[in-house]
Amino acid sequence: MPAKVSLKKNPKRNPLGKVFAGNIGALAVGLKYFFDPNRITLLYPHEYIKLNKGYRGFIVLIKEKCISCSSCARICPAAAMRMLSIKVYNEKLKKYMIKKYPVINYNRCIFCGLCVDVCPTEALYHVPYHDIVYENMNDMILSLEDFQKEPENIEFKEGIPVKYYFDESRGLVKTPYMEELEKQGEKEEKNQKVEGEGEKGAG
Amino acid sequence: MNPCYYACYIVYKVIVYDIIFYPPVYQFLIIPGLITAIIVAIFILWFERKAAAYVQMRYGPWEIAPRIGGAIQLLADLTRYAMQEIITPQTVDTLQYLLAPIVMVVLALLPLEAVPLTSVKPYFPIPSGYSLLVAVAFATLSPLFITMMGWASNNKFSITGSVRESFMITSYELISVLGLLTAAAMTRSYDLVKIVNLQMSGKWLGLINPIALFVVFIAVLMSTSGFPFEIPESESELVAGPFTEYSGLLYGLNMGGAYIRRWVFSILITLVFLGGWAPYRPTPGVITGYFIPSLIVSLKAVVIMGIMSFLRSVYGRYRLDQALGIAWEILIPLALLAFGIGLAEAYFGII
Repeated sequence: MPAKVSLKKNPKRNPLGKVFAGNIGALAVGLKYFFDPNRITLLYPHEYIKLNKGYRGFIVLIKEKCISCSSCARICPAAAMRMLSIKVYNEKLKKYMIKKYPVINYNRCIFCGLCVDVCPTEALYHVPYHDIVYENMNDMILSLEDFQKEPENIEFKEGIPVKYYFDESRGLVKTPYMEELEKQGEKEEKNQKVEGEGEKGAG
Repeated sequence: MNPCYYACYIVYKVIVYDIIFYPPVYQFLIIPGLITAIIVAIFILWFERKAAAYVQMRYGPWEIAPRIGGAIQLLADLTRYAMQEIITPQTVDTLQYLLAPIVMVVLALLPLEAVPLTSVKPYFPIPSGYSLLVAVAFATLSPLFITMMGWASNNKFSITGSVRESFMITSYELISVLGLLTAAAMTRSYDLVKIVNLQMSGKWLGLINPIALFVVFIAVLMSTSGFPFEIPESESELVAGPFTEYSGLLYGLNMGGAYIRRWVFSILITLVFLGGWAPYRPTPGVITGYFIPSLIVSLKAVVIMGIMSFLRSVYGRYRLDQALGIAWEILIPLALLAFGIGLAEAYFGII
């Protein structure tokens, strides 16, 4: 025997009570947030999220480490990497040789980071930021010279780096990253001082 | 006396007393009229966006002027609308298409010519004997032109929007007229001055008969497509309802037209239910007899507009059938109940 099909009836409610409870509840929540706002907006150009070190941002090539194995171009799932053949003067053999170097096309790149992972000599690395404006599509196809430079961090010019977490009652809680930056700055100053003293001692 | 000084004095007197403070001009153009209505519409649009943003965990307009919370954002928007080209598509009925928004805004402002804003007799725009009736009658004119806009636009979105608008007209008009005329039943007169003078003692009709105020409030939201009833120009289904084909300044007129109608209704509500210029007693003289009471009425009306636009942040939109159901099944019985309560209060001498 198949199970009997039965319709479940909703418990009857008093329609007036339903109307009043729903509307007044909604208005109360609205008023609460109106007088005690609780924002989850990041004011982007004025403050930006400080990304961690392992972030897969833009990719930069260190030409000296590259051994022209083309693993990066082969593993690239979006076919964004391409190998360029370039004449290089080899000092050991004292003659010109053709060597291959990768270049990247940011129209296609999906920032998966496989090329960085697969590189046997760690010639590619990520930069921990990802906000760059290009004026046209051609500029997004980098040349070998551009691929070796770290792109400039535009966020860094205007905004404050910020770390954040979500809180149920307070919304987006942001703490400026500046304190940690100051600590780093102190460390660097100390290091410079130590180096300077060392030089003096040596001198 | 220096004749030049004398001439200047006469010109000053003519400009101030015979032009600016001439009641039809003053009420149609200056304090509750066009200029104030535009300023209020700008302020209320900003407030609406800001309140919705606060409730929905955002900032709202901010970037254009961070110190004052982006208050001049609407000026920028207005400039953009003014600079846009006014496009008339080939398929529209050109004359109706161009005239309808302008006539709608003018007719929306017309009830202001009927309401007295002071109890001093020389400053009535019309004889105030039947002013409530005349104002209510004028207030029902302008929605017809929204329907006309949709018809003239010759576009399926526009026609759907205008059909919805005409559905809404048939449902809200009865409610608002019944609710506003409850005051006439309570005070046994159509004279707004008499109605306001009766409320001078602190017995505002809105406090004595809150159901009537509630019913009129919802009817006004319905008529001006305020948020729970933003059905004719529902943005996610119909592009902009009857205003789909409009661009530039005409579109700005359309969007402002709803706010101007809401403003006029707010002034009517203020006069009828919230005591008009109540705590203040006008005395003869232009400033004390005309300017200050009209300012008090406007301030009260701005508060009502603020409450109406706050609802945008809380409510979603009703379907057409839900809104019509609310109107015919709940609000009209409530309006009749309010009318009965008003009659009973008048009979037992509470007012």
